[in-house]
Amino acid sequence: MGKILACLQASAVDAELETGEATDRELIVLCQQGDRDCFRLLYQRYQQRVRSTLYQLCGSASLDDLVQDVFLKAWKGLPKLKNAKYFSTWLYRISWNVATDRRRKLAKGKNLAIGDKIWEKELNEPKLTSTESTPDLMQLHYQDLVQRGLNNLSFEHRAVLVLHDLEDLPQKQVAEILNIPVGTVKSRLFHARNSIKKFLEQQGISL
Amino acid sequence: MTNLHQDNQNNLVSFLRHNQPLPPDVSPQLEQQLFNSLKSHPKQRKLRFKAAWTVPGAIATGFLFTSVSFGFKTPRLALEPKDLENFLVKNWHNTLGSHGYTAIEETDADWLLPNTTESQPRLAVSVQ
Repeated sequence: MGKILACLQASAVDAELETGEATDRELIVLCQQGDRDCFRLLYQRYQQRVRSTLYQLCGSASLDDLVQDVFLKAWKGLPKLKNAKYFSTWLYRISWNVATDRRRKLAKGKNLAIGDKIWEKELNEPKLTSTESTPDLMQLHYQDLVQRGLNNLSFEHRAVLVLHDLEDLPQKQVAEILNIPVGTVKSRLFHARNSIKKFLEQQGISL
Repeated sequence: MTNLHQDNQNNLVSFLRHNQPLPPDVSPQLEQQLFNSLKSHPKQRKLRFKAAWTVPGAIATGFLFTSVSFGFKTPRLALEPKDLENFLVKNWHNTLGSHGYTAIEETDADWLLPNTTESQPRLAVSVQ
């Protein structure tokens, strides 16, 4: 039994090396020493996830600025990151903070209505690149519904749904990112899923 | 019942993932813009770390320099009377100035006495 466990552990380490997780750590250590080229590699590796998360939370208005903001903060804050294995969680936490700050600024009243209008306008405008097949139109329609469903959720519920269901992060990591208990993550996830499911059913989508 | 509920949840999650709205394409200049702006944001922690040690280091160096230049020395303890005797003779001779000596031996006590230009009678010192 002991030998089987040892073999399993060894293969897990090998898998870790093959998946590139160890490479991430090496990059982070070099970045902490000021290596910008390594930080560029990290950026290329993570920018799509950050971009996607910020888009789901804040829409496309100033998306590029928000993404830049996240990576600038990451660059400045990297020396404070004690354990490289938490880089992903830490980066998502920065993204969440940037998104929250953005929401607060919008909620001050100046641009809230404009921001939401821009988002809705983008959703309602068809983004067809070709008119060839119905499935493309259906997928656009479904995407539109999902976005509206997300828009109907509170920011806190939306964050949990985006991070867990769309970004595929485990509940424990979501709890660390949002700095809330795992129980709260579960509760918010439950309510968020029920809410969006109800919305989709009202739009004629049965799951 | 539990399995049915779980299946419904899985279906919902699968639908959301498959139809999640995609962000607009990233501008190709964005990466370069970011790295251009990094140049104006050097890491601060190492600088602060270095700065934290600079001041005490400078104080310690200054103290050391001052001590050496003023000839500060901790008093030596003679292990044997003979060592003490030799020390006294050596330093006593050196306090009389350089006249009569072909070689000037600098001692730690040189700075205590002014230099003289007139010859002075050599004092006979006997040490028992």
